[in-house]
Amino acid sequence: MRLALAALCLSTLPAVADVQRTLDTHILPGHAALVEETTKLTEAAQADCTPEALRPAFHDAYDAWISISHIQFGPIEDQALPLAISFWPDPKDSTGKALARLTAATDPIVDDAEAFSDVSAAAQGFTALERMLYDNQPDADYACRLTQAIATGLAQKSGSIQADWPAFATLMTTAGDDGNTRFQTPIEAKRALYTSLSTGLEFLHDQRLGRPLGTFDRPRPRRAEARRSERSLQHIQLQLEALEALATTMTDTDLTATKAAFAEARTRANALDDPALQGVADPAERFKVEVLQQSVRAIQVAVIDEIGTPLGITAGFNALDGD
Amino acid sequence: MPSRRAFLAGLTSASLTPTLSWADVGSPVALSAAMTPSGAYVLVGLTATGDITFQIPLPARGHAAAAHPHVAEAVAIARRPGTFAKVIDCGTGDVKQTLTSPNGRHFYGHAAFSSDGLLLFTPENDIATGAGRIGVWDRSASYKRVGDVPSGGIGPHEILRLPNGTLAVANGGIRTHPDTGRDKLNLDTMQPNLTILAPDVTQIDTAHVPQDTHQNSLRHIAAAPDSTVICGFQWQGDPYDPPPLVALYKGNGTLLPAQMDDTALFGLDGYIGSVSAFGDGHYAASSPRGNLAFSFDQNGQQTGAHKATDVCGLCAAPDGTCLVTDGLGRVHTLTEDTLQHRTTHKLAFDNHLVALTT
Repeated sequence: MRLALAALCLSTLPAVADVQRTLDTHILPGHAALVEETTKLTEAAQADCTPEALRPAFHDAYDAWISISHIQFGPIEDQALPLAISFWPDPKDSTGKALARLTAATDPIVDDAEAFSDVSAAAQGFTALERMLYDNQPDADYACRLTQAIATGLAQKSGSIQADWPAFATLMTTAGDDGNTRFQTPIEAKRALYTSLSTGLEFLHDQRLGRPLGTFDRPRPRRAEARRSERSLQHIQLQLEALEALATTMTDTDLTATKAAFAEARTRANALDDPALQGVADPAERFKVEVLQQSVRAIQVAVIDEIGTPLGITAGFNALDGD
Repeated sequence: MPSRRAFLAGLTSASLTPTLSWADVGSPVALSAAMTPSGAYVLVGLTATGDITFQIPLPARGHAAAAHPHVAEAVAIARRPGTFAKVIDCGTGDVKQTLTSPNGRHFYGHAAFSSDGLLLFTPENDIATGAGRIGVWDRSASYKRVGDVPSGGIGPHEILRLPNGTLAVANGGIRTHPDTGRDKLNLDTMQPNLTILAPDVTQIDTAHVPQDTHQNSLRHIAAAPDSTVICGFQWQGDPYDPPPLVALYKGNGTLLPAQMDDTALFGLDGYIGSVSAFGDGHYAASSPRGNLAFSFDQNGQQTGAHKATDVCGLCAAPDGTCLVTDGLGRVHTLTEDTLQHRTTHKLAFDNHLVALTT
């Protein structure tokens, strides 16, 4: 009987254990770090809202966000907050327009934290805060209030997401239990993690690298994410680190090829001396960014082979059909 | 289009060959292709509550079937750029016949029957010229090929019978060649449109996609009881800068863009998978890449956006709601402002639900 019980545990526990471990070592600490850094950010903004003073806290908080930004399901999705934390890609310059509207009107909504959460999402997140700290602001007094409103809002949003995670984590670890309508089978919780991994890699390849690369004939350096604060490459490095952490914690299968592919991509990224990816317009420098992008593609392939296929997860029967 | 003789022949053959009606196979309200856990492909009939009335094997992954208006018979078209179509008896599961596209042609998507069920219309690519064509087949003569007409554009992906007796054709505008699979050969010059054909398949109206958004490929269409056509698009430009991806056609060569939130469009990858009309003046669209099902009012104003992983299939249900399927085997009911899960099958439902007009 004890043997049978042990065998049962062996066959059922790992699936839950992987999810539990991913929550405990990756998702929950990532959100705690985001709360910590955005709290420091808002305190710093209250103490001194000038760009020079606030930039260090801005960088730390933005780092914390990028390191957990691949987790797009759960509380952040339920509260519809992704765009209000970071509005990118933004080809229509919604951020610039939304900030210009507020500034032109000297809109007092910035003094009311609750009301400010109703302004355009494009004016609320890190992408907006970067503009405030790196673009010229003609009206220093209003810019200060707007900066403080964005910082306060980021701390509130981060706290609100973190507050809902414990309950959501329980839904994930009890996937398939009676009454759990969110995750009706154990594999659905794993699928959510796998989707974060595969979508994160796709975003890295197609957007964070693909947008500035454009085409050889038409490179688009101004499309690099967070180029004003010269964080473009750092976002890529942080996301590689975070996605590798997710990949290695969410499964116990052999990840030889995945780890090798991550190592190769990290080496390529670290070799780039181009923080805002502006070299994409220079044929010699561009080549290095293209090679980095190819190494991300190699990670995507390895992840499908070593994680997706063994789990029996094929992403998007319909999403991938393309017809 | 059918001559009097063909019409009478159709009646005769129908009376001689016992054929099952849709009621005989459990009165499904919709058909869907699907994949089983073992990787086999099937065609299923679904009731309004999401129960399966029949499940029969398909020889390969299907895209969407054309359902005969009266007889329990469906024509499953091969996925692009396939050259065969299977006529399937939905009572027995037998493949009654295989239709092959003529030399120099391949099938391009969703076919439709005429309202009397005598003719089958198939969107096709004339490979040498890239011109879109509509093949015409006479069911009463064992699906003899009886002619073809221009589709009114390039890359026709769907032809649809409208309640007023006319036919609507979604010309996606994208030229492809079988040698290069689904590679898009004319993105710089593509010009999609919705073409309306009279019952005799002559062109009576064309609604062009505006020139400044000419890369907005019209892919899927569905009709309301008043013959308004809802159009679902697949944007070929920057996925973060899409034009409206849903439009309504009410005649006069005009596409009326739906009003969707900017932020709603943000995560869709510029891609609408299916569209449907439902109830009294409601419309629906699905985004399998954004994992969202949208509902709209009669003016195309978005009234709801609901999360559902890999959601795609949509069609009107007789109770005035919209039946919804996804790649995880779930069936849902969409209303103006709610999405309710009904049941889950051990299947991955494929892109489209085909409504049965019994």
